Amino acid sequence: MEEKYLVCEDSLEGIFTGIYEAYALREGHEHVHIQIGEEDNYRLFAVYLHISPDTVKTGKVARTLLERLGESVYHGLCRAAASCYPDKGEAVYKAVVDAITQGSGRHVMENLRNPYVQRAFELARYTANEAHFETEFIRFQELEQGILFSRIGPKNNVIPFIMPHFADRLCPENFMIYDENRELFGVHPAKEEWYLVSAQGDFIPEQLKWSVKEEGYQELFKAFHETIGVKERENRRLQRQMCAYRYQDYMVEFQKK
Amino acid sequence: MEVRISPQMSVMEKLKILGAAAKYDVSCSSSGSSRQNDGQGIGNTVAAGLCHSFAADGRCVSLLKILFTNECIYDCRYCLNRCSNDVPRASFTPDEVCELTMEFYRRNYIEGLFLSSGILYSPNYTMELICETVHKLRTVHRFQGYIHVKAIPGADPLLIQRAGYLADRMSVNLEMATAEGLKEMAPNKHRRNILKPMRQIQNGITENKHELTLYKHAPHFCEAGQSTQMVIGALPESDYQIMSVAENLYDKFSLKRVYYSAFVNVNEDKDLPALAGGPPLLREHRLYQADWLLRFYDFKVDELLAADRPNFNTAIDPKADWAVRHLELFPVEINRADYRLLLRIPGVGVKSARRIVSARRFGSLTFEDLKKIGVVLKRALYFITCNGRMMYPTKIEENYIVRNLTYQNQMGKGEKLPFMTDGTIYQQMSLFS
Repeated sequence: MEEKYLVCEDSLEGIFTGIYEAYALREGHEHVHIQIGEEDNYRLFAVYLHISPDTVKTGKVARTLLERLGESVYHGLCRAAASCYPDKGEAVYKAVVDAITQGSGRHVMENLRNPYVQRAFELARYTANEAHFETEFIRFQELEQGILFSRIGPKNNVIPFIMPHFADRLCPENFMIYDENRELFGVHPAKEEWYLVSAQGDFIPEQLKWSVKEEGYQELFKAFHETIGVKERENRRLQRQMCAYRYQDYMVEFQKK
Repeated sequence: MEVRISPQMSVMEKLKILGAAAKYDVSCSSSGSSRQNDGQGIGNTVAAGLCHSFAADGRCVSLLKILFTNECIYDCRYCLNRCSNDVPRASFTPDEVCELTMEFYRRNYIEGLFLSSGILYSPNYTMELICETVHKLRTVHRFQGYIHVKAIPGADPLLIQRAGYLADRMSVNLEMATAEGLKEMAPNKHRRNILKPMRQIQNGITENKHELTLYKHAPHFCEAGQSTQMVIGALPESDYQIMSVAENLYDKFSLKRVYYSAFVNVNEDKDLPALAGGPPLLREHRLYQADWLLRFYDFKVDELLAADRPNFNTAIDPKADWAVRHLELFPVEINRADYRLLLRIPGVGVKSARRIVSARRFGSLTFEDLKKIGVVLKRALYFITCNGRMMYPTKIEENYIVRNLTYQNQMGKGEKLPFMTDGTIYQQMSLFS
């Protein structure tokens, strides 16, 4: 039997539409694969089908997964789908097959003997960990208009997972988080629902103007951060291990003057 | 009474002095309380806590950890702020603390406030200042983030109760493991005075739990429990004494955390140990490992240490040490052993034990699966079987296993310590530099 590759867009919508189409083929799942983005190295004797994301189909898949697998598995699959690795489509698809067709259901993420579930679990964990680090290490800067602005450069698409945390915490604030790798904004107007926006045109964060007091507080925090370390216990290796350089690049206390 | 400090000192100078004065207090966690924003102000708390930065010593910066003032009437020998020391003194005003907390919090620099203080005039006066500050932060600024305050030993129980209703966590430092030690080190403090507020807070938390079951909206009292701290290595106490005290605190005072602080001789006091090799970090590390075994692995102190073996093995960690002394229980069959026994295998932690228990329902596990699950096989392989087989043919013999575990250490591949014990760093040899 020939292998079929469903070529999907790199987004949650893309992957869910891919899963919908894979089931619609009704050819079993052994020889059907989901691939994210264009293939550079086509296989011989394989059929490539291009799938364009579809809101209705995505909604159907999402509803089914939520109903049949429960919220925590569903969120796990979404996290895996937000990963930066291209094999995520296949992993999420085959994990869904394991859950729905092979019957592990709500316990699918525990079936770590299945290599696809293992991979989906791993990817979900990676995204969750990065989202967790970003909730800790994000630094907001107050702009002239009193808006809080933060720039991050995560490997995975974490903004959808960190916005709820900040929307609750900073409920009375206007704030936005900018993912410079994906040119994506998470925007939260004070006391309203948050939403995502793609950056239009050239957005240059350096052009934003800080409020008058912003620099003062940055200096205060830098001073605090410096004094709080115990000299006799200095351990830069441990510091780097707990807070990697790629986060430090965006944090005020690690910026040289 | 007027605060004696000259008010013209800038907030920056105060922050430097009072941040530096608070840094020897170890506790910095923001865990244990989970609260959503009520829409009226800023802030929430997360049950697991969040670390917002890491200082040069690799310890987390979660809370704005400051003293209200470093003026102190006491003369504790280990403390930088003792009254006989000639150090610059400063005091915050409640408004300054509130402003710093709010502005740092908005920028996601911190998870909340940790407010401690030297004893200004009297314990009551100091406790009142702390209460006033925290009250202002909670009511005027409507701050809903995490607050950790010290209960000052000797302060009026009513003041401590008031602070408890405003804070998430309170702590009273035990300082020394033994009452005699405390007397020697801190002539103005008495163990009785330390345990009294600790008991009061414990009772407060228990009563509050009853109230909360009856009245859902009753105010919370120290939702995140209480913690304490002991200084390690200033006096010749054994690990056994220290761990027994910790176990008692967990069992009898229902503490959330006991912190251990490797002694740093800040005052160069001639009667205190000079510690040429730096603070006793390895010892502190072993105590924390054992502390985790008490809290999450169902161990008892008497299993780990005994009167004739009062200190931890420096070469291997307490869990592996226990395991090699109980080889009659091993090897353990991964596919059949119960959760409690899985937890006792070196190389298997709480998470991997849970994952094993849930994954083996779908079929038996192999070594390859265990690796994926997160078991540290190079440590576990001496103690486990999968489907009746060991990973490699190994001897189940104490000396052999210890040799292998420590040999890995010598190669720099074994137990990962957060620091180098002898200052050496193992590096790849390069022929071209």
